[in-house]
Amino acid sequence: MTLEWIRFFAVAVLLLGAVLSFLSAVAGVFRFGFVMNRIHAAGIGDTLGLFCTALALGIAAGPSMHLLKLVLLVLFLWFTSPVSTHFVGQAEYFTNPELKKHLRVLPPEEETNEEEGRTDAG
Amino acid sequence: MKAKETFLKWLDGDFDLLAHVADTDEHPDPGRAELKREKRHINRRIDSSKAEHRVERAEEKGFYALYTLVAVVSCVFLIGILLFTISSLPRYGVENPETTEVVRRYVENGLEETGAVNIVAGMILDYRAFDTLGESHVLFTALICVTILLRIDNKNMQSRYEDYFKIRMERYHELTGESIAKIVGMVLIPSIFLYGIYVLLNGQNGPGGGFSGGTVMGAGLIIFAATYGFDCVDRVFTAKRLNLLTFCALGFYSFAKGYVFFMGQNGYENHIPKGTPGAILSGGLILPLDIAVGLVVACTMFGFYSLFRRGSIGGGWKSDREL
Amino acid sequence: MLAEIIKVLLLLLLIVCAVSVNFTKSLLQSVIIFMAYSSIMCIIWVLMESPDLAITEAAVGAGISSVLFLLTLRKIRETDRGEDGGEEA
Repeated sequence: MTLEWIRFFAVAVLLLGAVLSFLSAVAGVFRFGFVMNRIHAAGIGDTLGLFCTALALGIAAGPSMHLLKLVLLVLFLWFTSPVSTHFVGQAEYFTNPELKKHLRVLPPEEETNEEEGRTDAG
Repeated sequence: MKAKETFLKWLDGDFDLLAHVADTDEHPDPGRAELKREKRHINRRIDSSKAEHRVERAEEKGFYALYTLVAVVSCVFLIGILLFTISSLPRYGVENPETTEVVRRYVENGLEETGAVNIVAGMILDYRAFDTLGESHVLFTALICVTILLRIDNKNMQSRYEDYFKIRMERYHELTGESIAKIVGMVLIPSIFLYGIYVLLNGQNGPGGGFSGGTVMGAGLIIFAATYGFDCVDRVFTAKRLNLLTFCALGFYSFAKGYVFFMGQNGYENHIPKGTPGAILSGGLILPLDIAVGLVVACTMFGFYSLFRRGSIGGGWKSDREL
Repeated sequence: MLAEIIKVLLLLLLIVCAVSVNFTKSLLQSVIIFMAYSSIMCIIWVLMESPDLAITEAAVGAGISSVLFLLTLRKIRETDRGEDGGEEA
């Protein structure tokens, strides 16, 4: 009996967390003005919200075929959505002429130099 | 003989059949390129405020008013015809022999007559296989039409070098240098193909079948071409093989179904084993026909993408080394 | 009851998408709204218990036809740009 209640509360808390992260993703996509910020906001819903939803449904379903399908679903979406986000960001990087107004763009060589410097200093 | 040469020139796009007609009507002596440009930029010319075009602009405004009027009238006419047709249909949900007899026959006798657990597959590939045959041929015809419109072959290439630069630009836009895309594609493309084949082979037992599995496999081919580049796809999937595959699939479908129709019409047994319902090898001809339809759909989808991207399906234009 | 409400909401979203495809100014936005239309249609097919159509709709409507639309958009922009350059030069 108590196990049932624990399971119920876990599922409820996880689903509420998922809804919260989806809400923050939607709000961020509509409120932010710049593409990179929007990508970041949408990424939270795509990864954290999806993971919370799948975990909650998996706990509710218990060990069964549904659990395996949910694991595969999470794997698939965690493979695809960060990659598509990466390509959206890359398209913005290559096509937006006013990119430097919004963020600091480092050429690739400088970036590596800086990192090497950091490792040297550390 | 001259007419044939003119027609061939027109096919190649070197000659405009309506050019001299337009000459005599409106413009006394315009260049042909200018005429084409004017045709394409009618909208922009409405906005331009040149005095010499004022009369023509008035004509174009009249043309657009007429265009809108004809569009609205034809839409209203079409809507009226459709509503009239709907009003003569039998009422939805009411028991009458026109709507329920066929459905009852399918639901009650479908399993033993077709051998397929999935009644939808039994319907579209057994009871109404002729319909599906037409659909597959429609896809093939669409591929042929897109080929006619968008193909760039060696003859066109030599005459128009800008096409070559366009193709080079297409290659520049490919994601072949992206290691992220390649690694994710390495994981995703086989699983997409596996899922497509699963859907394709399970058409008679569960949801799926030729069209669904074929589109999933076509999408997998498109992702393959987008991530690994067309050079990689061309090694396995040339235009010749695509044509051969499509031809074999459609020919097999036509012959198999023609055999069944002929035997059934003349009252013979057709000797095709139905198998046990629920197994993969069941449903008589449904599984092979599903595979044929799926191959046609996958080839068509990839052919569309390839023709839209670079103007050929594969091996149609010269590679970098030859040029 | 809840399923009915969800179905009605999905149908309303479908109508909104179908109308706003026509009324957006940018063609790219139209294509993306059309993708959303196909995805909603896919969910509706699942709710109407025809999963094979849902698979086809998801692969063709949201995947392949959108890719073809985007390729066509790029071809249109290429030709427009080329002709503009010709006029200016």
